[in-house]
Amino acid sequence: MSISTNIWVWIAALLTLAIYSFLYKDNVFYKIAEKILVGVSIGYLLSVYWHNTIIAKVWNPLVQDKNFLVIIPLILGLLMFSRLFKGRAYISRIPIAFVVGTATGMSVPSSFENLFKQVQGTMPTVFSFGNIVILVGVITTLVYFFFSLEHKGFIGKVSKVGITFIMIGFGAAFGATIMARISLFIGRIQFLLRDWLGVIQ
Amino acid sequence: MKKLCYLLLIMLLVGAYPALHAQTGTMPLDPDTAYSDTIPTEIVLRAEDTPNDAGSAITVTWECNDNLPSGLITIVRINGEEESIVAEDLMLTKEQVRDTDVADDKEYSYYGIITSPDNKYYRTKDSNPAKSEAQWFNTDRTDSFVAVLFITLVFVWFIQQAKKGKSFYIRKINGLDAIEEAVGRSTEMGKPIMYILGIGYVTDIPTIAGLTILSRVAKKAAEYDTSVLVPCYDPVVMTTAQEVVKESFTEAGRPDAYQKEDTMYITQDQFGYAAGVDGMMMREKPGAVFLQGLFFAESLILAETGHSIGAIQIAGTTETAQLPFFVAACDYTLIGEEMMAASVYMDKNPLMLGSIVAEDMVKVLIIVILFIGLLLGILGPGLGIDIFNNWFEWLIRII
Amino acid sequence: MIKGKGIPLTITFLTGVIIIVTFFIPHSPFGEFEQTALRWYSIIAGFTMLLGVDSLLRSHIKKFRKKDNNWEYSIVVFIAFAVIVTTGIIATVRTGNAFNTDTSFMYIYNHMIIPLQSTMFSLLAFFIASAAYRAFRARNTDATLLLITAIIVMLGRVPISDRFIPAVPALTEWIMSVPQMAAKRGIIIGIALGAIGVSLRIILGIERSYLS
Repeated sequence: MSISTNIWVWIAALLTLAIYSFLYKDNVFYKIAEKILVGVSIGYLLSVYWHNTIIAKVWNPLVQDKNFLVIIPLILGLLMFSRLFKGRAYISRIPIAFVVGTATGMSVPSSFENLFKQVQGTMPTVFSFGNIVILVGVITTLVYFFFSLEHKGFIGKVSKVGITFIMIGFGAAFGATIMARISLFIGRIQFLLRDWLGVIQ
Repeated sequence: MKKLCYLLLIMLLVGAYPALHAQTGTMPLDPDTAYSDTIPTEIVLRAEDTPNDAGSAITVTWECNDNLPSGLITIVRINGEEESIVAEDLMLTKEQVRDTDVADDKEYSYYGIITSPDNKYYRTKDSNPAKSEAQWFNTDRTDSFVAVLFITLVFVWFIQQAKKGKSFYIRKINGLDAIEEAVGRSTEMGKPIMYILGIGYVTDIPTIAGLTILSRVAKKAAEYDTSVLVPCYDPVVMTTAQEVVKESFTEAGRPDAYQKEDTMYITQDQFGYAAGVDGMMMREKPGAVFLQGLFFAESLILAETGHSIGAIQIAGTTETAQLPFFVAACDYTLIGEEMMAASVYMDKNPLMLGSIVAEDMVKVLIIVILFIGLLLGILGPGLGIDIFNNWFEWLIRII
Repeated sequence: MIKGKGIPLTITFLTGVIIIVTFFIPHSPFGEFEQTALRWYSIIAGFTMLLGVDSLLRSHIKKFRKKDNNWEYSIVVFIAFAVIVTTGIIATVRTGNAFNTDTSFMYIYNHMIIPLQSTMFSLLAFFIASAAYRAFRARNTDATLLLITAIIVMLGRVPISDRFIPAVPALTEWIMSVPQMAAKRGIIIGIALGAIGVSLRIILGIERSYLS
């Protein structure tokens, strides 16, 4: 094993080190790496949008399939450019209103589907201690989210139990993620030691 | 710092163990698997219109014969004199296939060709004839339909109550009272505030909720004459955020102080965005950082950097996987629904408060249903009393 | 009239209501309305991407012209952007598709964007440690509870832990499937209701700050 002679591996390795240097403090290497990532990724995404949206969803349907319905989103998309003209920016509210309407409209029934799934999953189909604890946990967590009642007295106590469940839940999610994050770091170290420096196999 | 290094070292060692000992392997196939010679003609195909769809589909089902669990089946469509293959060599255990290449209101029937593991072929009898048609109502979604109607009515009722002048209470939400303090402190220090909307799109409700909070925060900032930096991940979010900040500055009577460039685009690459925002934080040193929207793995990268520059941080998201990191790294965290209710809390508009009461009423209803479920669960599945068992199953079914 | 919020609010109301109603109607053309609206959104987003690029480049041009702090790094953004766009165009002209694996465009993607992304991602190993350390120092019940659970679950997820403390993996399993699950379900129900609340407030026109 020996140090890599591939220029691309060198580039990747130096960029990796530049990002890690941020842990010490903000410095010239990090600034360069950051700007490269921003500049390159936005250029890359522009190409992705060009291929996947403009060509695949506008040009092809309009020119090849003669699907003239595409003209509506095309106009809505073009209305966004009103932002570039002083005093005409308000026109961009029309496409924004359409997008927000779509998002909120979709969210109402789909949130209910999600809600029903959770309520159904909470039902103790098998009678066990664990299932009862889950039920208590869900109810107390819901009480914690009561906004129109003051959290004092009985409600206060129940919501305290709720927040205890929430914190235990957060701790569990935190603990379960640690390993995955450490292995990401190990992955990068392996790249530096194996692919770049050739120190390990 | 030393302690931190020790902690990291311990975590590294603990984390390295499974990573270095990870092994991959495949499960051995059972060499003694024996197959029966029984001719599986008893496999009966049933055809029926695919329910709750837009038409042009017939679902063909069959029950898998226990003697032939690993056989394959090819489904053939009979359309008058014409025969065509619908699906080839499916696992018999699949027990269902959807033919989406049929015309509505026309009769089709089907048969299957079964390939046994020893490469023998068997033909099933023809299925019943079936027609496809489109439905006007999706019966699978009846419960959601009733729920949507119900909540809309509850909403409208409470909003009407608010219009009639009834006042509603909203409990204290930790973190929201700190907004004023955070903006004030930034102003005193002569620093800007930074508002990060995360990596959601305008089609995501948490992002929309983040934008509604932004409008209130920007208004406060304008009153204090402090600039608001809003680095964005999505261009549509950026456009909307620009409008929101501009209007907030106008409402606060400071339209002249609005700077369009302060709401800027970074990149739509998750970690590119994190790198850009981190860099901006280090250089602009905002006195307060708001992280309100949809966040994924970048949440902690941003929150820890914000902490390192000594900013007051108020976070909020609906991503349950990221909330623990915000709780650990930020001064205040709005958990899930608290974030959704934040704009109402800050506005205290009676109509909006009415809608929060409506949400709470639905919560009460859910808690009641859960209690009934608990009771029936104890009496039915727990103590085995038949009638309660039936009621319990009925309850699960309607949900 | 057109400058006010009337037209946008009507558009949001109508789109929202139509999307909700068509969720329950599979029959054509209503059944596919949601997908059509999403496709339309992606087209709008595609055009708006140009506004994003405009915003980014404009802010760097301004920085460069005014010689603001760190203006030198704006040049890096211009070069990086110009190089990737040029290679993308060259690759498209030469091979018909910039995303073919052996184009210089994809080389830049694989050897610059990917390592940069994964290194940024791996910074979390350090940040998760510092966040845990802070939770460790915070002397309040919530933080302590969070940290203790995190330690138990972290140890329980390591294969060797059962050799030393046999109860830990079982306890971890219980924490994950009972209290963790309960809290998650409660939070998700709350979020679902909150999302319905936000949506209805917007559709009914009570919340209009997004239009400002």
